[in-house]
Amino acid sequence: MPTLPQSLESLVTSIIPATRDNSRYRNELVSHCEDILSSHIGQNQEPDLGYLADKVKRHLLQTSPSGVASLKFTNLLSRFLDQPVLSRKHATLLFLQSLASSRQTATATSFLPSLAPPPPPRHSSSPSPVEPSPTTRQPKGKSKAEILREYRAKIGRSHLPEQPLLRDALYLLQGISGKYVHFNLNDDANSEDTLVFVEDPRYIIAPPTKALIHRLSEVGYLYTRVESFVRESEASTGVGMIEQSLCHHLQSQLTEYYRLIAILESQMASKRTRVDENRTSDDDQLGEESGLTLRRLDVWINEWRLRMRMMSVCVEGARDAHGGALVNLIHGYADNGDPFVRKFTDQLLEEVSKPFFATLHKWLFSGELYDPFSEFFVALDPNVAHLQYVHPSSLAGGIGQLSGDGGFAGLGGDADDVTGTRDGGLRLWETKYQFQKDMLPMFVGESFGKKIFSTGKSLNFIRYSCHDSDWVVTREKMSNTGGTLKYSDISGLERSIDAAYLTASHRLFEVFIEKFKLLDHLCALKNYLMLGHGDFADQLMEALGPSLTRPANTLYRHNLTATLETAIRSSNAEKDPSDVLRRLDARMLEYSHGEIGWDVFTLEYKVDAPIDTVLDPDSMEKYLKLFRHLWQMKRIEGALNIGWMRIAGGARNFLRVPELEFEWHKIRLVMAEMIHFIRQLQAYCHLEVIECSWKILIDFLNKKEGDLDALIEAHRSYLNRMVKKILLLSPKTGKEETVLTQVKDIFSIILQFREATDNFYNYCLSESSRRDEKLDADRGVVTGRGVREDSGKHSTETLDGLLERLKEYGSSFSERAQTIVQHLQVHPDLDCRFLGIRLSFSDFYRSKKEHSQKS
Amino acid sequence: MSTRESDHISSAQQTLEILFEMSELLNTQLDRETLATCVGMIEHGANPEALAAVIQELRRESSALNAQTTAAVGTR
Repeated sequence: MPTLPQSLESLVTSIIPATRDNSRYRNELVSHCEDILSSHIGQNQEPDLGYLADKVKRHLLQTSPSGVASLKFTNLLSRFLDQPVLSRKHATLLFLQSLASSRQTATATSFLPSLAPPPPPRHSSSPSPVEPSPTTRQPKGKSKAEILREYRAKIGRSHLPEQPLLRDALYLLQGISGKYVHFNLNDDANSEDTLVFVEDPRYIIAPPTKALIHRLSEVGYLYTRVESFVRESEASTGVGMIEQSLCHHLQSQLTEYYRLIAILESQMASKRTRVDENRTSDDDQLGEESGLTLRRLDVWINEWRLRMRMMSVCVEGARDAHGGALVNLIHGYADNGDPFVRKFTDQLLEEVSKPFFATLHKWLFSGELYDPFSEFFVALDPNVAHLQYVHPSSLAGGIGQLSGDGGFAGLGGDADDVTGTRDGGLRLWETKYQFQKDMLPMFVGESFGKKIFSTGKSLNFIRYSCHDSDWVVTREKMSNTGGTLKYSDISGLERSIDAAYLTASHRLFEVFIEKFKLLDHLCALKNYLMLGHGDFADQLMEALGPSLTRPANTLYRHNLTATLETAIRSSNAEKDPSDVLRRLDARMLEYSHGEIGWDVFTLEYKVDAPIDTVLDPDSMEKYLKLFRHLWQMKRIEGALNIGWMRIAGGARNFLRVPELEFEWHKIRLVMAEMIHFIRQLQAYCHLEVIECSWKILIDFLNKKEGDLDALIEAHRSYLNRMVKKILLLSPKTGKEETVLTQVKDIFSIILQFREATDNFYNYCLSESSRRDEKLDADRGVVTGRGVREDSGKHSTETLDGLLERLKEYGSSFSERAQTIVQHLQVHPDLDCRFLGIRLSFSDFYRSKKEHSQKS
Repeated sequence: MSTRESDHISSAQQTLEILFEMSELLNTQLDRETLATCVGMIEHGANPEALAAVIQELRRESSALNAQTTAAVGTR
């Protein structure tokens, strides 16, 4: 076997015959050739046989487009590969190929332009960073890149081969620093993490490769962030369930990612082994083609880059958001035109929203809030969480005791107890659970969120406050068969929410109306506190009237309650259910010195849980206010009735004082005016206000729509409407009670007038009896004590005073009535304006005013 | 000469034949002898591309020599 220099020598002599006799020249050439051979030309070229063959074929196709040559070459190649002799077939082929391609360029330049198309630029930009073109000493014809490459080869800093870089890149993808490329991870979160290339004097890394590695390392960087988040959350306690499921999803995604990395790595390894194997089999061509390069890696990883970005964004969001807000955040990415992003987000949401829907299911169908990490959009107020409603059945003894000795119990303690428990009802309902808008997932929608909130609240209320848990449990069982709630089935979710909402609110109405007889209580309030039962009110007025005129401090509660009992028993009221009657109570308000019974007396209606959710203490306060006003009106009416009976009947029969007839006539006129006034006022209150409002409320109750909130709202508006209209309140600030005070004034004027007429009546009575006596004395019959002359003179003074007062009261009543009518005519409320018209039906007050203006 | 050896030689011949045909096809303008030398060198571990460069270099050298001689002849 010839050695290398021998072979070279024979080559030199065969190619350049002139060297045969010139040994110096030959030796020079041989040593030069040895130099070339020992250089690194083309070392980086990957031994890819398939690629090489392909290149040759393409080359052949260009030189002879018929395809015969390339076909022939394929044939030859397969035969060549079958030969067992040579061990380095690839190298041989490469040799031929490089010689062929360089020949072609050489011929193209040195001879006539060939007919074949010029070599494609692909030749000069082969995938390896180093062009396998020959390095020559000849200075001309070299490009700048060639010069640079030559320079690099000379100083020994060639490009770093791709293989180690590939390995590094795979490390980078896992967030590990490689040999040539490092992550510069900063502990400080604010400063940016950077990528550092190791400065090695022997190698350089080309800028395009650097850019590629930068792109690849982005994935690695994102991966570290996601991975550290997952690890942190797994390590820490008290992480919400939604976050946990987010972590789980991320973890499974990361596992996928690991799988990809593993595949890539095995491919890289297999490529290296195949280099050694490729002499044995020729299916390696495929394997060679699927070998890994940085660019291929980039393509492989491309999809993951997007996915990692999404995950990293979620992770970033998860740091500040919590629970429902987190779901919301992820949902924010679901509306994306990119199908990939959309799909990814949908998957993520499906996973992440599972605990949310579990909580939702529990809340929606059993009214239980199971939310240990407070991620749901319904939050429990910790202050009232421990409170439970006080239920009548659990307090049966207490109630019995209340009804038994309620009448005799003192004012103080009992009332306090009642208000103590009363406070609970509405407050509990309103504050036990809170709606948190920012935690509500957007895909549910706010109106549905409200429905869910209200449904769960109703169920909870039914369960704990109405002690109707059986129903809730049955419902829960039924709902379990209906399938689970999930993100991908939003319409189904909405249906279930609607259904659950309807049943829950329906049930709540049923419970309130049938079990707790809300309607009975409302009726009772209307009948007793608003004097709907006329006979009862009359009886009560009759029985209480005399004692109420006494000073307040002489009244005792037990007397009042006893009178109340009498009134109930002697009227139709006794037919009401006993449950209602035992709640009715009479009591006195706090009184101050000088007040009489009328001022402090009030009826009271006691409610307990859970009815007090609707009839809350505030409402009861309003009912009491209404009662006092109506009761006052009733009193005036009664007083006027009695007065009228006296002057209409009695005065005619036995008051025979002819010169005072005219005065009586005037009194009758004024009184008729007063009676008209009070009658109209009463009719207005009862017919136009109370009954109309009642009808609205009953209509609402019969519809059985809406939840407890709506019920509370309906009752509240019913009550407010009555308060506003009965008390003739005006919406103008600062003038709310102008009319009311005038009405109250007019009431007191009427009472004073009543008193004055009584006095006048008494005067007339004594006057007429005096005259009778005088007549008797004239006839000679002595009846009584005899006539005192001075009394007549004295009585004329009294008479003048009496008439004076009567006139004064009459005219001030008229004036007041007139102002009231004026006020009412411009009242913003239409019903109040109608009252004004009723009061001055024939323009009585206006004409009177004009009359007084004229005069 | 054993049959095994002759087999070996014949197969080597065959391989060389194939390679020569390929070389023809690729228009490398190598004769059989040079080709055999080159293949032998490659078999012994020579860098194929470098070897190709050597061939190129030598050819260029030879053509330069020829040009010199023809020029000399022309001037003469």
